[in-house]
Amino acid sequence: MEDMIQMDRAMSTEQDIKISANGVQVYYGENHAIKDVNVEIQDKMVTAFIGPSGCGKSTFLRCINRMNDTIDICRVEGDIRIDGEDIYDARVDPVQLRAKVGMVFQKPNPFPKSIYDNVAYGPKIHGLARNKAELDEIVEKALRRGAIWDEVKDRLHAPGTGLSGGQQQRLCIARAVATEPEVLLMDEPCSALDPIATAQVEELIDELRQNYSVVIVTHSMQQAARVSQRTAFFHLGNLVEFGDTDKIFTNPEDPRTESYISGRIG
Amino acid sequence: MSNLMLVLIVLGLGAVGFVLGRSRAMSVAGGDRRKLHSLPVYYAAHVGLNTIVPALLLLFGWMIVQPMIINSSVSGMIPASAIEEGGNLSLLMSDVRRVAEGLDIAVTQGAMTVSEATNLSADADNVRDKLAAVGVALGSDVTTDTLHAAQRYRAMAATGNLWKSIVAIGAALIGMAVALRLTAVAFRARNVVERGILMVLIAAASIAVLTTLGIVLSLIFNTVEFFQLYPASDFFFSLSWNPSFSGRGGGSELGILPLLWGTLYISFIALLVAVPIGLFAAIYLSEYASNPVRSFAKPLLELLAGIPTIVYGLFALLTVGPMLVSVFGDNGALGVGWMQGGTAVMTAGLVMGIMLIPFVSSLSDDIINAVPQSMRDGSLGLGATHSETVRQVILPAALPGIVGAILLAASRAIGETMIVVLGAGAAARLSMNPFDAMTTVTAKIVSQLTGDSDFASPEALVAFALGITLFVITLGLNVIALFIVRKYREQYE
Repeated sequence: MEDMIQMDRAMSTEQDIKISANGVQVYYGENHAIKDVNVEIQDKMVTAFIGPSGCGKSTFLRCINRMNDTIDICRVEGDIRIDGEDIYDARVDPVQLRAKVGMVFQKPNPFPKSIYDNVAYGPKIHGLARNKAELDEIVEKALRRGAIWDEVKDRLHAPGTGLSGGQQQRLCIARAVATEPEVLLMDEPCSALDPIATAQVEELIDELRQNYSVVIVTHSMQQAARVSQRTAFFHLGNLVEFGDTDKIFTNPEDPRTESYISGRIG
Repeated sequence: MSNLMLVLIVLGLGAVGFVLGRSRAMSVAGGDRRKLHSLPVYYAAHVGLNTIVPALLLLFGWMIVQPMIINSSVSGMIPASAIEEGGNLSLLMSDVRRVAEGLDIAVTQGAMTVSEATNLSADADNVRDKLAAVGVALGSDVTTDTLHAAQRYRAMAATGNLWKSIVAIGAALIGMAVALRLTAVAFRARNVVERGILMVLIAAASIAVLTTLGIVLSLIFNTVEFFQLYPASDFFFSLSWNPSFSGRGGGSELGILPLLWGTLYISFIALLVAVPIGLFAAIYLSEYASNPVRSFAKPLLELLAGIPTIVYGLFALLTVGPMLVSVFGDNGALGVGWMQGGTAVMTAGLVMGIMLIPFVSSLSDDIINAVPQSMRDGSLGLGATHSETVRQVILPAALPGIVGAILLAASRAIGETMIVVLGAGAAARLSMNPFDAMTTVTAKIVSQLTGDSDFASPEALVAFALGITLFVITLGLNVIALFIVRKYREQYE
């Protein structure tokens, strides 16, 4: 088993690039939030974005599923490709894109519906199930992937808002997974959770890596070191350094990265 | 000394106390305000409040108690035979008060000296004429008993007023002295003044609650009186509303059902108009409209709520009614002849619906805006379109609030009067045809109480029974609305 994971890992580094961004610029009105970012994110790997508050890491994350489209004053320039396809092309429906690129938010945001309906929401919208039995199956599979099935299987029709914070966040991950995305974006998924729930979610992220390309924004450098294989350091809208996590944390090239991870800036 | 004068004096003393309190505080601190527990202004306010509040409370208490004591003492002087002649005691007492007031006026105008007024005798002097000369008209000649009672009344009132002034001013001075004595460096004037402010807040809250209680009690007492004159079973279950206007004649049929039916029918049509339009407007304004449109359209929509209902009534009578007749009337565009006149359930319902649109839309708009952005993000992030998000996430989350808004609009519709008076007609009728004229509970309350009907007759008292029925219905609706909102309020956090 361990060997297989090792093999997996060795293979995935050679695998093709899942997301590639070239010369991405983001403006909020007059404010230039992201400056000329180039990054290549590989499949079946966890990529962490770290950096001080307001450095643009969340903004960049939201470019990958075009969530920034919902903000009127936000303008994105440059080129972002998933599997070689330009996602800002006029032919791409942002709504369809978001089904392919799932997102988990900072604060757990289950809908005020039952646990079952929370997970079934995406599949129902996209018509992934032909009948109730298939939908049940999808829900169960998603909840298992979200590592929360055992805790909720007896109360699928209880409201999702009644779960604890950590459970809610895993429910939101299960909800995102239910639409069979290829990429999973996570915007500080643990910042509203206690250490135990954080540990559970981190463990889950590590498992999700087998099926998805995961991009996680985090404030905690320890978390980035624990869960990610590749790390990007953002500072003031610039991508300062991007490389293997081990290398970023042990032997950073840029003095700014070194200052940040040693706690001198940020 | 008049009461206004007394109040002014007490307030003046309060102002003096304020100034004295401040300077006293500064002097006990040796001119250094940092040594005081509180700011000097709190010591000043403490002395001022201690001067004013007890004195005014005593004054008001005295003003309530004094007439009661004088009345009971004076009414004992009137013999039982006079009561039988004069009808009842309260009529005689009002005569007594009137004579007493007349004597006061005569004295102030100089038509009588003080001793003349005190020594007047009913047989020798023609009191009625003398008082008429100073502008006090009396209904009948003044008997000896009445005159004696009036003179006693005057005497007691004069002593009472004197003592009232002494007590009020004395209380103000004592309060000031006590507060000045309490003023010391360590005295916590700030806390005391804040406690005083708390009392004011409690008093304001209890006035609101007590007023409600008073309204309910007055409704209940009059309703009980009504049910002693008219059987409750007829009121609640009779199918006809047909009050007789002969005055005391009786023979009225006072069944609430036709009125209740009219009320509910008109309200139903009003909600049928207001709920979809209001809700859709709210969804557009809160979810789709751009900021400039929203900031322009929302106040404009809320302007509808500011139009007086009588203006809506005119609109119903002059515009909507004739328009409906021209479509559904005998020679109307459809040629169906369902509608005989401009006043109908449909006319009032439509206009009332327009009136209710801003209630529904404004409240729903606020509620939809209160749904956290994270819900929208969550849904959009799963690949839902904007309208799927609105339909499947935002509206369900906002539903309890929206139901509350609708129920509030419903209770508003049930209590509406002017639109109905002008738009729906005055005929109490049980009919299914929305183009018939009908009337509502509120409109009938108006028509039963206006005019010169005897207030003790069931025809007038029925208004209170109608009122309390309406009150119970709207109260029930509000309770249900609160219950729904509480029960289904979503915990977004």
